[in-house]
Amino acid sequence: MTALVSDPLVAAPARADIAVAPDLPDIMPPVRVRRGFVGFVCRHPAIAVGGALVLAMLFVAVFAPWLGTVDPTALAPAQRTREPSALYWFGTDMLGRDIYSRVLFGARVSLAVGFCVAMLASLAGLLIGLTSGFVRWADGFIMRVMDGIMSIPPILLAIALMALTRGSVGNVITAITIAEIPRVSRLVRSVVLSLREQPYVDAAVAAGTRTPTIILRHILPNTIAPMTVQATYVCASAMIIEAILSFIGAGTPPTIPSWGNIMAEGRALWQVKPYIVFFPAIFLSATVLAVNLLGDGMRDALDPRMVKRL
Amino acid sequence: MLSYVIRRIAATVPVMVVVALFVFSLLYIAPGDPAAVIAGDQATPADVERIRQSLGLDRPFLIRFGEWVWQILHGDLGTSIFTNLPVSAMIAQRIEPTLSLMVVTLLVAVSVAVPIGVVAAWKADTLIDRVIMVVAVLGFSVPVFVVGYLLAFVFALELDWLPVQGYTPLREGLWPWLENLILPAIALGFVYIALIARVTRATMLEVLQQDYIRTARAKGMGESGILFLHALKNAAVPIVTVIGIGIALLIGGAVVTETVFAIPGVGRLTVDAILRRDYPVIQGIVLLFSFVYVLVNLAIDLLYTVLDPRIRY
Repeated sequence: MTALVSDPLVAAPARADIAVAPDLPDIMPPVRVRRGFVGFVCRHPAIAVGGALVLAMLFVAVFAPWLGTVDPTALAPAQRTREPSALYWFGTDMLGRDIYSRVLFGARVSLAVGFCVAMLASLAGLLIGLTSGFVRWADGFIMRVMDGIMSIPPILLAIALMALTRGSVGNVITAITIAEIPRVSRLVRSVVLSLREQPYVDAAVAAGTRTPTIILRHILPNTIAPMTVQATYVCASAMIIEAILSFIGAGTPPTIPSWGNIMAEGRALWQVKPYIVFFPAIFLSATVLAVNLLGDGMRDALDPRMVKRL
Repeated sequence: MLSYVIRRIAATVPVMVVVALFVFSLLYIAPGDPAAVIAGDQATPADVERIRQSLGLDRPFLIRFGEWVWQILHGDLGTSIFTNLPVSAMIAQRIEPTLSLMVVTLLVAVSVAVPIGVVAAWKADTLIDRVIMVVAVLGFSVPVFVVGYLLAFVFALELDWLPVQGYTPLREGLWPWLENLILPAIALGFVYIALIARVTRATMLEVLQQDYIRTARAKGMGESGILFLHALKNAAVPIVTVIGIGIALLIGGAVVTETVFAIPGVGRLTVDAILRRDYPVIQGIVLLFSFVYVLVNLAIDLLYTVLDPRIRY
């Protein structure tokens, strides 16, 4: 900054014909930086909108029993396939169950699956990626295995795994996690490989720092940003795959209301009672959209070069 | 060049071995007794034992795997537990609708997505670009069956322009065939369009900053000539790559699309096989589609030198 102040243009005495404010040494007009909440929303609208929607959905999932819902599994044979009304906000399905209650409780399954898969896939991917990046002799083998798993389309892989197990939320999470691990591993590995070439890592090695310390101090902090972004995409994709699995009857068991299940049940009647399919569809799409927006916003905010989609 | 082709083809062998090993060992990875799960709740112990033997779960893993690979190399994908028909015959019976759906989707998606991406890059940071990118985020977020139901509701039920469901074989005429495929193809292609459009835009943005684009402008070349002759040609490699990678989306999405639109293809076969726990059929389908996916991407890799003569091996 000293160079700027000693600049002859700025330091020159004010000429009589030009009005120069003597107490304004800086040549740059002051940039108005908005701070606080409003500033954050203005700078990162995608994060704000996506985050708000995700929080809203989280609220719905947690407080589902207190949001005017009834037991989502309660049958009412006399009240079958009622159109949406003041009593049944989203109508009832062919067993007389209240769709509003089922959709709100369904948020729990989707969010739980999305969150757990994102966490587990990130953790496993981190371990595999670090191993691949540091244990060079294992790299070729690990990456061929990851290539192999990646060349099975994720939905087919999840279907194949689910066909072998009894439908449960835990099994759905496991199946989708296995399908998502290779992408995270590849990302971590590429970050590790580029970081290993950095001068500060060379310096640490030259100074005799042990590998675990290097990983903890230099590698891990640098993987957090790209992995957070990737985790949101994994979460979005997991919610879609869960809905697809439940929709084709290979996912969450029918006793637990999930958005995919509600749509599967409405499938037979959708031409006459389309609302059974459309209400869970709107919630599912809005939630996935929110998570994707959050991911896009974070990608732009954290590091635009590090993470590319896919 | 020839040595590159040979090396590249050889490199797919380990990938295919891993795929085969993975698909085969799923039976062993799964928690619990797969024979009991496949047999279902009403099965007697004898049924479970029969299925265990037919799947070979009572024999050593490597021997079974070797025999299985040998059979596959001879075009034998195994026998369905449910129908006792060869899996390859069951897939062959159902492949036409699925292939038709995927080819139509591919054509629709590429011919929509690439121009959209080019326009978005050309009009970068304008309203058009913003709208296109918002639609692309929607494409990633709205699941294929939601798009499918929405399209069917509007264009088939309300407007009555196109059939709601079903499939007509190609031999019964081009229009009846195409008529049934338009809505499923748009539904299935939505996410694919989003993906291709995004990559096209990103690549084009990079290419449009190059010096030769400025030179083309300077010599007075028209905008469409610059965009489609100079820029798009140089952006071809990443775009074609993502078209290949995105085929995984088509394969997975086809299962769901066929369910929504009642198309009797391999996707429906998969869903039926899940409900019947017909594991050899599922194995066969997963294996076949994975190999197709690997081969398509191999072909695209080999195409790079054609698309971009600067690439030499």
